[in-house]
Amino acid sequence: MSEHEDAPAPGDVEVLGAAGGAPAGGGPGTGDGHDPEAVRLPAAPADDPHLQEAARHPRRVEGIVGLSFLIGIAGVCAFGGAYVESAGTQVYAATLFIGLFFLGFGLTAWGKYLMPRGPFVEERHPMESSARDRQAMAAALVERTGIVVRRRKVLGGLLVTGLGCFGIVAAFPLLRSLGPKPGSSLFKTNWKKGSLLVDINGKPVHRTDMQVGGLLTVFPKGKQSTTTAQAVDQTVLIRVQSTTLVTMKGRGDWAPDGYVAYSKVCTHLGCPVGLYEQELELLVCPCHQSMFNVRDGAFPVFGPAPRPLPQLPIYFDSTGFLRARRGFDQPVGPGFWERTTIGNGKASAT
Amino acid sequence: MIRRLTRNRLALPAALILAVALGAILSLSSGAKAATRQAGTGSSTAPTTGAPGSGRHVNLTAGGTHFVNTRPRVTPHATACTKDAERIGYKAPPDSGSPQDSTPADLVCSHGRVVRYGDSAITYTLPPSSFIAAGHRLFEENCSSCHLPTAQGSAVAPSLRGVGPATVDFWVTTGRMPAATPLQVQAQQKPPRLTDRQAEEVAAWINSLTPTAPYIPDVHLKGASLTKGATLFALNCAACHTITGAGDALAYGTYAPSLRLATPTQVAEAIRTGPGNMPRFTGNLSDAQVRDIVAYVTEKIQHPQDAGGFGLGGVGPVAEGFVALLFGVGGLMLVSFWIGDRS
Amino acid sequence: MAMTDGRPRTRREARRALGPYGRIQQAVNELDDRVGIAKGGRVLLDKIFPDHWSFMLGEVALYSFVVLVATGIFLTLYYVPSSSIVVYHGVYKPLDGMKMSGAYESTVNLSFAVRAGLLMRQMHHWAADVFVGSIVVHMARIFFTGAFRKPRELNWTIGITLLILAILNGFIGYSLPDDLISGTGIRIAYSILLSIPFVGSYLAFFLFGGPYPGTIILERFYIVHVLILPLIIIGLIGAHLGLLVRQKHTQFPGHGRTEHNVVGSPLFPQFAAKTTGFMLMVTGVLGVLGGYAQINPIWQFGPYQPPKISYAVQPDWYMGFLDGALRIMPSWQWTGWGHTIPWEVFLPAVVFPGLVFNICLMWPALERRFTKDYEMHNLLDRPRDRPKRTAAGAAMIGLLFTVFAASSTDVLANYFQVSLNEVLWFFRVAVVVVPIVTGLVTWKVCVEMQHVPGAVKRKRAMVVSRTAEGEYVAVPAPERPGDEHHELEPEPVPVRIELEPETVGASGTASTGEPGVRRVVRG
Repeated sequence: MSEHEDAPAPGDVEVLGAAGGAPAGGGPGTGDGHDPEAVRLPAAPADDPHLQEAARHPRRVEGIVGLSFLIGIAGVCAFGGAYVESAGTQVYAATLFIGLFFLGFGLTAWGKYLMPRGPFVEERHPMESSARDRQAMAAALVERTGIVVRRRKVLGGLLVTGLGCFGIVAAFPLLRSLGPKPGSSLFKTNWKKGSLLVDINGKPVHRTDMQVGGLLTVFPKGKQSTTTAQAVDQTVLIRVQSTTLVTMKGRGDWAPDGYVAYSKVCTHLGCPVGLYEQELELLVCPCHQSMFNVRDGAFPVFGPAPRPLPQLPIYFDSTGFLRARRGFDQPVGPGFWERTTIGNGKASAT
Repeated sequence: MIRRLTRNRLALPAALILAVALGAILSLSSGAKAATRQAGTGSSTAPTTGAPGSGRHVNLTAGGTHFVNTRPRVTPHATACTKDAERIGYKAPPDSGSPQDSTPADLVCSHGRVVRYGDSAITYTLPPSSFIAAGHRLFEENCSSCHLPTAQGSAVAPSLRGVGPATVDFWVTTGRMPAATPLQVQAQQKPPRLTDRQAEEVAAWINSLTPTAPYIPDVHLKGASLTKGATLFALNCAACHTITGAGDALAYGTYAPSLRLATPTQVAEAIRTGPGNMPRFTGNLSDAQVRDIVAYVTEKIQHPQDAGGFGLGGVGPVAEGFVALLFGVGGLMLVSFWIGDRS
Repeated sequence: MAMTDGRPRTRREARRALGPYGRIQQAVNELDDRVGIAKGGRVLLDKIFPDHWSFMLGEVALYSFVVLVATGIFLTLYYVPSSSIVVYHGVYKPLDGMKMSGAYESTVNLSFAVRAGLLMRQMHHWAADVFVGSIVVHMARIFFTGAFRKPRELNWTIGITLLILAILNGFIGYSLPDDLISGTGIRIAYSILLSIPFVGSYLAFFLFGGPYPGTIILERFYIVHVLILPLIIIGLIGAHLGLLVRQKHTQFPGHGRTEHNVVGSPLFPQFAAKTTGFMLMVTGVLGVLGGYAQINPIWQFGPYQPPKISYAVQPDWYMGFLDGALRIMPSWQWTGWGHTIPWEVFLPAVVFPGLVFNICLMWPALERRFTKDYEMHNLLDRPRDRPKRTAAGAAMIGLLFTVFAASSTDVLANYFQVSLNEVLWFFRVAVVVVPIVTGLVTWKVCVEMQHVPGAVKRKRAMVVSRTAEGEYVAVPAPERPGDEHHELEPEPVPVRIELEPETVGASGTASTGEPGVRRVVRG
């Protein structure tokens, strides 16, 4: 009972404290190991240092907090105004920052400096239940299951089997309906015998169009517009000095007059290998810097790519335009499990 | 009649002049053939394939589009102008692609030599022959120590015969030449030592040794399509120079330079001549397409629209991650440091 | 003050009837009648949160997530997840007439035609970067102080899962605009899926609905990014915080702190004030980043098309360790019997992160096994007191940082003007050397610091005063609670204070003028 009850306003001081979470006066014997409520401590006097604010000069801090809030209000209102006036991204950001940051700063300073500084403490009541409760729970699980399943093990097994089957089968529509099986898609491109080489606008390539050191991205005619076709068909056409061209065995007629065509899809991770250094005669993939020697069957000379870029055999047709003799002799692009490898190995001069 | 002619006082001089003219014409045409045979390394001159002057008119109907590839036909009756055009490796329509991309070329000759060609997108001009003498002197002072006085190259510098005026103009106006040291992997761009006019003079002289296209381009940016330029840039240029034109390191110490300081002429020259390790885009890009790329570079790349604030160098997530971690997380950690205790 | 007929007749009487706490009491009563929150709520309000600054790093993550959700909701109202090709005729003229996907067009529209759209987009992206960064820093704090030990292993597991989901959601999120750079990232992700033995091609085709790029991947990424993963993340954050509240926060050993108590500030009002203020500050900082530091300017990159590519393409920083690993990996592959296993992709992009995250997940169990320590721990370690753990963590950070730095080989080679090939070889060597050296050095430093008493402790201020004779004397400044200078004292300070509902007056004097003490004004 309070002896300090003043008539009009007894409730002046609410002392901030922390009970340990256990019910006041201790609960029914739950067997808490640490019962902090066993001893009731008196409420602290109002001049307890824990209740003082942390600031040494609280008036000054109040002023700072107040000023901070004022700036914050101004900032937030300015944000609103900036929005109404369509003032632009930078103005929105500046006003939002000033508004929110100073409001937050003020509030944080208030909490840090102007509130009872504490520190306060609470007890950790041990979370574990009593040994008796634990055993009771395990007993409930085991014994009740035993009662249910006893002599009905077959039923239990069937139930488990059923749910397990459903779990497996439920994955079918979730996964399989997502997309088609790869089939042979990864092995084929749209390059065929006689495909006309065209650039991305559909213009074919004449033998006089490029000089030594030139580079062009080409596609089979008719397939230069859709992204899915571009993704596999993209081919890089380079003109090198025919005298320095080294062709692999069996590829003597794949690169007429110094024009060589390689798949643009990097054999590392599929980025388009559009970076060509004409003096070094090196195709560099911009993603992870695999380097392919153009003179030498696009053999990788540096970097993580494991295989040369597949080469497209090309020739000049009767009117001087470039066409493909046939498609690539191997799957283009990065490796995958089903990929059989053919056409590898270093080039030798023919 | 001959007796009446020979009795004339002017007969002998007239005969001599006629003989000289005929001889000059004959020697010029044979000399052109010799020049094309001699153009060796770099071979930026006329392609060596096919019979020279084998012009052909081809109608390729593909889905309604006609691609006509015409080349000047050099016949014994060809004019000196077209013969010179052939000699310098000029392809008409301008050594580019489909004529439907550009208006018909204007080929301007003077004294039997091509001095200007091009179309409404780009005009290529030869420096006047009055520049040649000054160019020779400049070459001797600035370049001959590495390239030799005959411009035939040495162990430390390549031959300049047959590179064409655009090439020389590019290297000199960007300051890469004269090179600081001849044995760098890649010549650095630096403040140019010769003025633009002096560069053209040197170009004129070198061209006089072995006349070759391309000439110095003058890009007419009006009417350029930035959208097409953006697409072309992303397809052909961004792989080395990055999509924002910031430049980056390439293999074995080479690098693609930043495009921030390039003039329109330099961009066009680089595209057409393929300096250093840069590929050479000739017939596969029309002059209109080159103009679009130049416009894109000079307008968008060099004046990036950084609507979101500071551009952070245009190098993308590397800089962004740095800022996020240092200023974002780091700054907020500092704030936490202020708020919390430190014990 | 009992009423005769149960109903107050005047307003004064009505107010009196409510008791000393007025309408608030009435609200509490009504709520408690229905939900029964009074007791638990009181306990919650008094929950103690320790005050150390490093405990706020998780809050940085939490509040950046709040910003992510808020800005993200704004973005979902404008973004269109469509792979169909459209021709742009919007306000941003340089792209006029360009063909692009609907997703890219809607993002450009969001950046230029929607008021404050660019700010929201950039705030969202910066918040994502800061979110993952703060998770990593927070996780490092947990690790180095041993807060993952019993009983908090489950929270550690939830946290690692949150990190993985945050990284994944971030990757998917910045791939949504379908610009040139993020589209390249999607292509790489497709190839990484392909590289998985046995099932790779199936997984890739199932996810993309066919061969790359197909026409459905953006739509699928969108729903994963705005619905599926955020739901899981929100649920896990709820569990994470719930466990934290239930198990109570850990604390550093110190003055008055034991394994069986928590010392700090109560939730209300101190912690609530500080944390709400911190949330506002975090939002403000993200706002200023969002408006002044440009991030992902997709209008400069252009729309994605498979044959296009830019140089200097890196993923966002939290994916950088994968990109770096892919760059430095030698080009090993296995081929045989009609099959290929591309180790050069599978090892750095699948096995390596799998190992890293699995080691992280198993670490509590590993440490238990190594130290044979099965006790509960509510007090934290100072990192120097556990040199081996700290060294192991430092070595892992060193490894991850090296691999992360390796993702910018080209940018570094360009900046420092060295050969790209040399930079790559440097990183191949560094990725082995740096973790070892970092671990050894860290271990040694920890051991050294253990033996230095008073290292890194704050000194007590000395107050210098001048006597009348002109002599200067220095006396230590009065101590403030929280200054850590002493050894543990036998009696615990601070004092536990308890509120008795009836004894509300602490002293006879009205303490109306005391700041920081709540007053109830009664009429």
